[in-house]
Amino acid sequence: MKNLKNYNTNIAPTWCPGCGNFLVKALLEKVFAKLSLPKNDIVITYDIGCAGNMADFLDTYGVHTLHGRAVPVAMGVKIANPKLTVVTIGGDGGIYGEGLNHLITAARANTDITTIVSNNCLYSLTTGQTSPTTPKGAKTKSTPQGSLLVPINPLFLVKSANSKAWAEKAATQNPKQLEEKIEKAVTHKGFSLLDIEQRCVAFGKLLDK
Amino acid sequence: MTKAITVKVVGPAGTGIKTSGQLLAQILVDQNYYTHDYTEYPSLVRGGHNTHQVSFSSEKINAPFFKTQILFSLKPDHWQQHKNELEKNSLIFSDQKIEKKINSGKLISFPLSELVKKVGNPITANIICLGTTAFLADLDQKLSLSTIKKYFGQKAKDNLTAFKVGFDFAEKTYQKLKLKTEKPKKKIAKVLLDGNESFGWGFLKGKGDFYAAYPMTPSTGTLHFLAGKAKEKKIVVIHPEDEIAVASMATGAAFAGKRAAVGTSGGGFALMTETVSFCGIAEIGMVFYLVSRPGPATGMPTWTGQTDLLFAVFSGHGEFPKIVLAPGDQEESRQMGWQALNLAENLQTPIIVISDKFLGESIKSVDDPAKEKVVVNRGKLLKLAPKNFARYNWQPACGRSPRTIPGIAGGQFLANSYEHDQKGIATEDALVAQKMFEKRARKEKAALSLTPKPILHGSKNPKKLIISWGSTKGPILEALKMISGNDFGFLQVKTVWPLHPEIERIISKAEKIIVVENNQKSQLTTLLKTKFNFNPDRQILKFNGRPFFPEELYEKFKKL
Repeated sequence: MKNLKNYNTNIAPTWCPGCGNFLVKALLEKVFAKLSLPKNDIVITYDIGCAGNMADFLDTYGVHTLHGRAVPVAMGVKIANPKLTVVTIGGDGGIYGEGLNHLITAARANTDITTIVSNNCLYSLTTGQTSPTTPKGAKTKSTPQGSLLVPINPLFLVKSANSKAWAEKAATQNPKQLEEKIEKAVTHKGFSLLDIEQRCVAFGKLLDK
Repeated sequence: MTKAITVKVVGPAGTGIKTSGQLLAQILVDQNYYTHDYTEYPSLVRGGHNTHQVSFSSEKINAPFFKTQILFSLKPDHWQQHKNELEKNSLIFSDQKIEKKINSGKLISFPLSELVKKVGNPITANIICLGTTAFLADLDQKLSLSTIKKYFGQKAKDNLTAFKVGFDFAEKTYQKLKLKTEKPKKKIAKVLLDGNESFGWGFLKGKGDFYAAYPMTPSTGTLHFLAGKAKEKKIVVIHPEDEIAVASMATGAAFAGKRAAVGTSGGGFALMTETVSFCGIAEIGMVFYLVSRPGPATGMPTWTGQTDLLFAVFSGHGEFPKIVLAPGDQEESRQMGWQALNLAENLQTPIIVISDKFLGESIKSVDDPAKEKVVVNRGKLLKLAPKNFARYNWQPACGRSPRTIPGIAGGQFLANSYEHDQKGIATEDALVAQKMFEKRARKEKAALSLTPKPILHGSKNPKKLIISWGSTKGPILEALKMISGNDFGFLQVKTVWPLHPEIERIISKAEKIIVVENNQKSQLTTLLKTKFNFNPDRQILKFNGRPFFPEELYEKFKKL
């Protein structure tokens, strides 16, 4: 079945060499194939940011939404057609910052969608500003004197919004576990959040200061 | 001139003013009168000062009137706020013993507190007034009682008693005050709907199946109406966390194949404008139902104004095609409910339907919407995807390319908020970007043949041409009925964007042109100037939260 195997648009990704998003993309495709999901039955909504730029590289139905809005768009798609597999790809800026209200609502609604967050604790596409998960005191480009805010804990937030929601962590350093968790998140019936710990290869060093 | 009678009930919130007004309208419609009501209420739940008036006639009636013939004050002194609505023969019923001399009208001692004791239920004061009204207006008592029975169902008992108490008291006491009314000559079979419910009906008839809204006066009526119908009609009606989510969810639903609409007022629409823009570039067709109230900011939540025309027309960052429709009355609110859905799928771009509190929340006797025949047009929606499907194919001269929805094999595409190529893939290529801008812009041209055309009411070759849009239609039509002669025409702009060239043809023939708007800056004038390089001779504007009434427009028109 042609529609099963190749989830690629054959456009070369534009991420920095060594970026964790290559792995997230590859594993997502692998999980889709393993689950035998026809690409016409998958809708991926992408936030704005480096992770969201995956939009051009995957050949399923997709919506590259406005910043922060990938989750409510995914909810709209799933409510409109529950037969579809609906996944959101975004970063910590879009999902935990601009769109945090939507994340909480999706968890409360327990809509059967999967939100995958490439969490590198930075706004990276805009070249390195503080994000909702940046450690307090980190000297980023928008906080040269050190970030004043304590970081949020997205898993706690989602679980406290709805204990029935699925929320777990993984890291790009551990590809095997990441693959298992992506599969679990996608197959979970109800809302799922997979927070993927990543390090930005271009601006991550800001966090070391 | 329409021979109409206006009955108004006033008093604090929470005394059943709205119920008695709606019930009076129902009684009248059941006895073949035409009605148009109008309510005023502050943004609170108890206390304050509420009004509900019903203007009715044996002929068609397009607007509520300013002058009140029968005024009920549920608490003494509330009537004093309405002195300027009285005329020589107006009757004011108030529970006070001394009959004061007033400049206009007659103050009648109306022992409401005593009558309520007869019923034994203090919350039936409003229905007692209704009984008195029925006697004064020479309505059929038996038919009226059957309407009340139907309206209240199990809870009818006290209300039936109250109606009889009010009717009998009036029969004994107010024989001489009985009004001369013109009886309806034929059966009219009308139903009562406000603009918001009408829009909801249009949405249902047009096979709308996804409606999202966050409560905001004066648009909430549509959310309530559709939420009540959702189960029976098997549609999705949803109240998300904020207006940004409302609009975002609806884009997801529209992308996935639903006929989607959202409802809000100005402040909520402000939050939705990013989505208007997104729909523009991603070519997602959905409907924004915008029911205005006077801003800026929170403004006056429960009052009216046509203050968001330019905001709607210019909403959303960037350049993209957009349609803005303006229903003039409850019937047009219904029609535009389904027309907007058709346009959304046909043109694959945001469609805004702009109404206001006056139209959205005023109830009128209208044709039964359940019987309306409606054409559902889904535009270029494919069932099968062709080989090498390109969702944003820029070949079509009309700018509209065939689309797929998720589930269709081979139809995968990316709906992109970034500029994109014909497959939806992001691009910054100069040539591709320009071609995409041009493709989308061609849809605005295509829209001119699909959107409702302007309508010229009154004289076909008017010397004096009134131009207006939206809810001013009814008051203007009633004002023109009062004027003798054939000098006046009224050009109703139904599609306020893009403006139809027919407007230019009609204005070029008139000697004097007057723009009427329920706003301060005459926003339609700005559009007409921009599009046709034209300045009206006069503007008649009102911007105090109240709608125009026929009488005040007549006074202004006759001096033109």
